[in-house]
Amino acid sequence: MHRRAFVRLLTAGAWVKAAGLDLLARGKPADPIGAGLQIRSDLPALKIVSRYSPAAVPGMPGPYPGRVIKVKSDKCVDTATNTANDPVVREMMAQGMRALTGAASTEDAWRRFFTPADVVGIKVNCGGYPNCISAYEIVGETVRQLTTVGVPVSQVYVYERFQNQMDECNYSAHLPQGVQSVAAERANRNTDNSGYDPETYLEANLFGEEDTRSSMMRLVSKRLTKIINIPNMKDHGATGATGCLKNIAYGSFSNVARTHQRGKSHTYSVVGTLASIEPVRSRTVLQIMDGIRGVWHGGPFARTTKYVFYPKQILFGTDPVAIDRLLLDIIDNERKAHGAISIWDRNPASLKIDDGRARDADPNVNIIIREPGHVEYAASLGLGVYDLAKIKLQELTV
Amino acid sequence: MTTAILFIIAAVPCLYWTQGLETRPAVEAAGIKRLCAPAEQADGWRKAGLTVTTIGESEFGAREALSAPGVSPRPGVASPTRAPWIVASGWRFMRAPTTKYSYSAPAGKAALAAAEAFAYDADAIIKVDPADLPSVGAMMAFFDTLPTEDLPPVADFGVVDDGSAITGEVLNLLARRNLLFHVEKGPSAHYRLNIVIGSAAYPQADAADPSTFAQKVRAQLTDEQRSLRLYGSEVVIARLTSDGKRARVHLINYGGRDIEGLRVRVRGGYSSGDGYVAGTGKVALQDQVVADGAIEFSLPKIGTYAVVDLK
Repeated sequence: MHRRAFVRLLTAGAWVKAAGLDLLARGKPADPIGAGLQIRSDLPALKIVSRYSPAAVPGMPGPYPGRVIKVKSDKCVDTATNTANDPVVREMMAQGMRALTGAASTEDAWRRFFTPADVVGIKVNCGGYPNCISAYEIVGETVRQLTTVGVPVSQVYVYERFQNQMDECNYSAHLPQGVQSVAAERANRNTDNSGYDPETYLEANLFGEEDTRSSMMRLVSKRLTKIINIPNMKDHGATGATGCLKNIAYGSFSNVARTHQRGKSHTYSVVGTLASIEPVRSRTVLQIMDGIRGVWHGGPFARTTKYVFYPKQILFGTDPVAIDRLLLDIIDNERKAHGAISIWDRNPASLKIDDGRARDADPNVNIIIREPGHVEYAASLGLGVYDLAKIKLQELTV
Repeated sequence: MTTAILFIIAAVPCLYWTQGLETRPAVEAAGIKRLCAPAEQADGWRKAGLTVTTIGESEFGAREALSAPGVSPRPGVASPTRAPWIVASGWRFMRAPTTKYSYSAPAGKAALAAAEAFAYDADAIIKVDPADLPSVGAMMAFFDTLPTEDLPPVADFGVVDDGSAITGEVLNLLARRNLLFHVEKGPSAHYRLNIVIGSAAYPQADAADPSTFAQKVRAQLTDEQRSLRLYGSEVVIARLTSDGKRARVHLINYGGRDIEGLRVRVRGGYSSGDGYVAGTGKVALQDQVVADGAIEFSLPKIGTYAVVDLK
């Protein structure tokens, strides 16, 4: 490394480290939009190392903090066959993007975010294969709109962490030739680190593990200029629900499964902290939450349809906290409708540590004390608006 | 960081081969040039051009037997998100460096056993499964390609060894967590931390849970002050030797799978280095950063064993 570059790296790294430590030590909101939050104090020390500076307007919460567009359509999916309706989804996408931006045309709406020079990553979610993954129709329409505004398909990357999951989902078969499909690791085996940037990471000793770093995907730090986040509406055994924050955070960093084990979850602070690390925070400019299908228990997996439900909606925004705040209620309400314990349940009597079979068989079983409060914590980092009274939700129907 | 005063010159483990000259093609194909063999076979192998040390079955059996190295699944206890149980003998080599050891390595384990013994300069003989001749032969050839080094081991703390089983298990867990120690007869002024099991600071009761005990020692050291850290795997054990100007890092991968991008951090004034990977040869260190009194680098891919020389 050239000496001058090295010195710059040290300076930037030291600044970011200091900022991260200070913020977490004080436990205070980084931004006025986080005022009034109740943040726990019993949190592990987290150290951020990054040489990237934030954009003038970081992608999260972006230009529309607290603003969420919900587009519903009863016709978006055939629940008998679990098949999405492509034309209806396209119309939902068009209306959602226009409503979010106020643009007169769909193309103009996308131009608010992307230019032909951008290298765009689409963070999909493959964890719920085969019954609840980022819909091919939404991903496909996203790529189509990117090409409409002039982004070459060779500059569009659909990505996940694990290649075996990408292979299962096989987005390439549903996308124009030339769109890149990228994963950081062959599988979740903790043996492939080359796809990660060893100089951009979160360091934390959570359970006494030796490998205390979670590093950002090289694709994200070195190649992409913008990211579109397309999570699903899913329950999650460690976080309560997995939406925008969890998808972008745990889907862009290595070695994150270590945060939840033996009944305890450190996801409360780690999810938001990972999402706040530059450059992922600045580059994630658009959130499109796929609620065509959902998972109300047993998530993030959906190997069977037992816990699949159909919210029949797509949420649009730039604020991941606001969307995830709504998601918490969507998942919890669905669980209540089925007579299941709340995602906020912390009763030890509900806990069967690491017993995945019991959890899958009974929606009143937790395998870890869930941490839906991770969304509020993320708000304290300035990632978005948590207070429902301050979230501006606009509902549309197709 | 303190370098231990005592050290020994690198020893190459010997392969214990009881089969006759009819296996000569396989032995030669594996590139093996040195064997330990029973008296009835030794002369034949010598005439075939190999360097042979005569070792009888009784002498082999008299050596301290070691477990086959590797990882051991623990059904019902381990899970994919937890560090697997590593079977490693480095702590035994450190505890008793002059003891003569033996492995009876099942198929697939001989190369790892050889790497482990070589990394710790152990006097070890390895009974090899015939299926392992190619892999262990390649490993022995790799040892021959390494630059000669005779650096003393680095330790961050001392452990006073009372010879007990419980202390042995503590040494095992400390080594497995890459906490660099030196075995001492009594507290040493070389170290800011001396572990005396049974003392008020380190009661026997604490040592009964060696994993938690190792975590306690780690917390006392602090990760920032540790001479060596690894990132990107929970199944690699490292040995660090150094004279303060040069250092050698031995990396032994017990997991049985290649590891890409293993990240290594070594404290000290090192600014560059070379990597040597068994099965690959000399490699350039990747993503190298020198900062905060340490050097960090990644290795593109390692299989069973790699060595990094820093200067």
